[in-house]
Amino acid sequence: MAGFLLRRLGSLAFVLWAMTVLVFAIVHLLPGSVAHMILGEYATNEAIATLEAKLGLNDPLPVQYWRWFSGLLGGDFGQSLTMERPAGPVILEALGRSAVLAGVSIVLVAVIGVSLGIHSAVHKGSATDRALTLGQYFFIAVPEFFWCILVILFFAVWLGWLPATGYTPIADGGVTGWAKHLVLPVSTLVLGLIAHVSRLTRSSMLEAIESRYVLAARAKGLPERLVLRRHALPNALLPTITVLAVDIGILIGGIVVVESVFAYPGLGRMLVYAIDNQDLPLMMGGMIVITAVYALANLAADILYAVLNPRIRVGGTAA
Amino acid sequence: MADAPPLLDVRGLSLGYATARGTVRALDGVTLAIRRGAAMGLVGESGSGKSSVVLALLGLLGKEAALAADRLDFAGEDLRVAAPRLRGLRIGTVFQDPAAALNPALRIGLQVAEPLVQHRGLSARAAHGRAVELLAEMGIPRAAAVAQAYPHQLSGGMKQRAVIATALACEPELLLLDEPTTALDVTVEAQILDLLERLRAERGVSMLLVSHNLGIVDRLCDGLTVLYAGRVVESGATEALLAAPRHPYTRGLLAALPRADRGRIGRLAPIPGSLPDLTRPDPGCNFRPRCPFAAAGCEAPQALHPLDARHVACHRAEMLHDAAWPAPDAAAADRVPLGGTLLEVADLARGFRLGRGLFRRQAEVRAVDGVSFSLRRGEVLGLVGESGCGKSTLGRLVLRLIAADRGSIRFDGSPVPAMPPDGFRRRAQIVFQNPDTSLNPRQTVDVALRRPLERFGLAHGAAATREVERLLDLVRLTPAYRPRYPHQMSGGEKQRIGIARALASRPDFLVCDEAVSALDVSVQAAVLNLLEDLRDTLGVAYLFISHDIGVVSHIADRIAVMYRGAIVEEGPAAAVLAPPYHPYTGALLSAVPVVGARGRAAARTRLKGDVSSAPTEGGCRFAHRCPAERGTVCRTQAPPVQQAGPGHAIACHIPVAELARAPAALAVAE
Amino acid sequence: MSGAAGAATPARRRLPRTLVIGLVIVGVIALLAALGPWIAPHDPDAFAMRMRLRPPSLARPFGTDEFGRDVFSRVLAGAHYSLLMGFGATAISLAIGVPLGLLAALHRGWVEEVIMRGVDLMISLPPVLLGLLILAVTEPGLFKTILAVGLVYVPIMTRLARAVALELLAENFVEAARARGEGAWHILAREIMPNAWPPLIVETALRITFAILLGSALSFLGLGPQPPASEWGLMIAESRPFIAEAPWIGLAPGLCLCLLLIAVNVAGEGLRDLLDPRLRGRGHG
Repeated sequence: MAGFLLRRLGSLAFVLWAMTVLVFAIVHLLPGSVAHMILGEYATNEAIATLEAKLGLNDPLPVQYWRWFSGLLGGDFGQSLTMERPAGPVILEALGRSAVLAGVSIVLVAVIGVSLGIHSAVHKGSATDRALTLGQYFFIAVPEFFWCILVILFFAVWLGWLPATGYTPIADGGVTGWAKHLVLPVSTLVLGLIAHVSRLTRSSMLEAIESRYVLAARAKGLPERLVLRRHALPNALLPTITVLAVDIGILIGGIVVVESVFAYPGLGRMLVYAIDNQDLPLMMGGMIVITAVYALANLAADILYAVLNPRIRVGGTAA
Repeated sequence: MADAPPLLDVRGLSLGYATARGTVRALDGVTLAIRRGAAMGLVGESGSGKSSVVLALLGLLGKEAALAADRLDFAGEDLRVAAPRLRGLRIGTVFQDPAAALNPALRIGLQVAEPLVQHRGLSARAAHGRAVELLAEMGIPRAAAVAQAYPHQLSGGMKQRAVIATALACEPELLLLDEPTTALDVTVEAQILDLLERLRAERGVSMLLVSHNLGIVDRLCDGLTVLYAGRVVESGATEALLAAPRHPYTRGLLAALPRADRGRIGRLAPIPGSLPDLTRPDPGCNFRPRCPFAAAGCEAPQALHPLDARHVACHRAEMLHDAAWPAPDAAAADRVPLGGTLLEVADLARGFRLGRGLFRRQAEVRAVDGVSFSLRRGEVLGLVGESGCGKSTLGRLVLRLIAADRGSIRFDGSPVPAMPPDGFRRRAQIVFQNPDTSLNPRQTVDVALRRPLERFGLAHGAAATREVERLLDLVRLTPAYRPRYPHQMSGGEKQRIGIARALASRPDFLVCDEAVSALDVSVQAAVLNLLEDLRDTLGVAYLFISHDIGVVSHIADRIAVMYRGAIVEEGPAAAVLAPPYHPYTGALLSAVPVVGARGRAAARTRLKGDVSSAPTEGGCRFAHRCPAERGTVCRTQAPPVQQAGPGHAIACHIPVAELARAPAALAVAE
Repeated sequence: MSGAAGAATPARRRLPRTLVIGLVIVGVIALLAALGPWIAPHDPDAFAMRMRLRPPSLARPFGTDEFGRDVFSRVLAGAHYSLLMGFGATAISLAIGVPLGLLAALHRGWVEEVIMRGVDLMISLPPVLLGLLILAVTEPGLFKTILAVGLVYVPIMTRLARAVALELLAENFVEAARARGEGAWHILAREIMPNAWPPLIVETALRITFAILLGSALSFLGLGPQPPASEWGLMIAESRPFIAEAPWIGLAPGLCLCLLLIAVNVAGEGLRDLLDPRLRGRGHG
């Protein structure tokens, strides 16, 4: 187990480093001058030269990379080009707000998705199962940004129950005000993912229910509830964990879209802002932070998988 | 005694599955009774419905199964009502593959203790304590530690012992055993059979043993019921029934069985044809289309009727009392005499690394470790050994299908390089175990057989078509098979195509890797006969790899016994099958369940553990399991190769004279 | 006997209903996309300021937008974007990913190591991020979006192709081919590929849904085709300021997009039912 952790941490560090190289390379090696890109088509040569000097763009690329990378290691993301602030704190604040969105969503997805999947599998062929299967087709296929439009139209415009966009810190609006701004973004984020998770949980649960060891458990005379809970469920949940890890990637994509639509000041919206305004330090920093979060989430899923799977957790032979 | 009601009383059990093709009649009027303390064997080939019986008794058939029975009683209670209450408590069950039957996510102790908590109301703690005791009673060393382990940490034999412990936890009156040893190696199988025999003697538990293996049933059961395509064809006392079978199917089954104790006999007698279509059950005898004795009256329904202290479902059984099962076709021609040396293998070795990565130590398994042998033209060398001994790896090394770490191969006098020339490829071919994966599912028979002809420039166009038809004829199939895809053929037919493909390039040498192991006995006999005919007429030499000693002793001229990557004994078949032999050979032979060998108990040698138990560095690789181990010499020094007779070599420290005093493992005490 | 005879004339497998329904809808959308320029009742880009924000009517079935453009004509003209992104991007991921995966499977050793470590790396980025990264630093446009989405799914295709090929390489019939001394090319073309394409094609079909989703999401964020293009994601993004007064501007392309996605998804599921090897050979054993 210790070796497993060490290996995974090692590969995590490697992925993050490779990501810094990739981000840097794509930004700096693609055709076109960075300064030109920032200042736009009609910039004077003088202005470009000034900016290039200011940004250190005349230095050799490895030097520039090292300056940026060593800054990152020390927590310095550079100066935002458009906000007149260091990029680091901007990114951190946004990250915190996105983390709330993502955390609430992933918990809901896991709880609701897994429960629905298990229910479908246990009652295979029932009306609920068929309705859920049909729902899954639908919800997996509807893009988040269109959901955003629909829920805004329905809940904010027509019913007027919830605010369409924006964000209120707890300090200003209290818990209710803060939570009200979360309801719509979270619900659009989770719909597709719940469909995805419940569908795969259903199939892994069905596989477990049809396994030999569940047959053996029934032959022992255990009541069906115990057979399902103790024998089928732990084995069915293992593939679900892998699915949840994949879905974190999809969730990050959803957050970028949903934050933009709901004007929720998180990391995704910040990233789109940085791209639109060519704020390179903000953009590069944002991407590195998102990759790091994603890699950590995957690591957590791997650890959870290992903890729940005795074949990884306990090695060796006993007799 | 005879009036006491049976513990299990099944009458007219029928079972239908609704499928897209119609209702499959899996069981049709099965009648079966087990007295208290008796053991009944339920025997049949695949498709006979024998496993469905177990599920029907337990009430664990799926919703799509329609069950009907005149009587389905256990100790006077109707199982259709009472099964959920009785299973686990008064009926214990052991399923086929212990690796699949144990829950990978739960500790062994919990799984053994579960029925105790459920049915006996024991506390978790008390149940766990009892589970440890049960594991120990099943012969598991360090039972307390094993109870804390997960299934993947145990060997196959230990897993099956744990499953049996679970089945016995609540001291049931009846034990249902569904192919309990089929997934296990023969020496481990012998240990489990010993255990079951002991449990029966000590606890008086009744058993229903479902198996395809007549030898196992003969060892364990006093009663025998033979199932064919969902119907009972014969039922009675095991000994009498096996000594003089009366139903044509039972007779055919025994005639088709290759037996280690009989050694080489002429040809086996296969049963022609295949299982009837269960969606259209024949109201008459359903064995009729395959029966050599079929006559008028067979189209009428056949009821089980008493005859010679048994029940037979054949109206001609009495008439046929003296009629012999038709003798198999005699060998097609006199056997081509053995020629000069064809293949010479010296010091072949290959290791595999287990796991890799920066932080993990790389362990190496020496799958084949310095093997030498030679083979003459037209000769059959049988290679036996348990799973993981390296026999399949050796077969592939010899064909240069996997790279060897060291060693040399000479074929027909010239060395075979790592990338062999087409000449060698043409002359040395392979037949695989599993007919389902040995043929490309997207190629017709014609394409599969034509390719080797074109590849080696042997025939093209119309000539190739004629050649394909000749090959089909060689394996006893008609040209109508040319356009068929693998999924349109039965297992036996697919295996014949696999053989025909290997023969297409007119090879001198075939590696047969468990070539008949996946087939039912009746089909296996036909394929074995075919292989023998080809050897006799074409003079093809075989390296015949098999875990089934009965099959090998039937076909091989010489036998090599392999253990953990090395050949421990090699010699003429008859010499290897009788003392003196290597202690491992002795144990292997005495482990083979043989039909009609009840008196063999005296000669049993049992091995401790299994192949994966503690490795030995240096010394004899069998020392840690050897029943005749001689202390440090065996554990530290490589055994010398002793000559035990002409061409008979044994790698052992024990002098040949002493080895010769070992009891004959296969001899039947009369 | 009967088993073989019964199997010799296999009942022609009926096409799953889901596959037929999905393909018909996708086909109709593709046809409309192809015929769009000829059958559109109005010029999709023509401003008509006097016709601004008209609700749907018989003459203008989807109403008009803030510039008085006919939404129906615009939706029609934009259909090809989603189809191109879905099928184009998937084709790219297939064209790059499958050869890489096969190469890795056939050349165990350092070739495999390099390819698979690269794949691991690419897969450790969230999909949207990879797309954003590629699009962020270059001028956006349809073909760059297609390329970006395609690249995002390359590693998934590589992994799948390698896994499928490795599984097949371990089969006895491939070993039999090697025992005949067949070359790598023959083994790939005659033994591996005929058996590998069903799982690959099923995955491809399901990928198309994700490619359309990701492509339209990137367009929605302004990183795809640029105005005045009537890409559906972009149209939805542009409709946002008018959501209260003229919801049809966003609903029309959104519902069309949903219809397309569900149809592709349903067809993919149908294809899986038809080709999944686990369902194969049923009714024989």
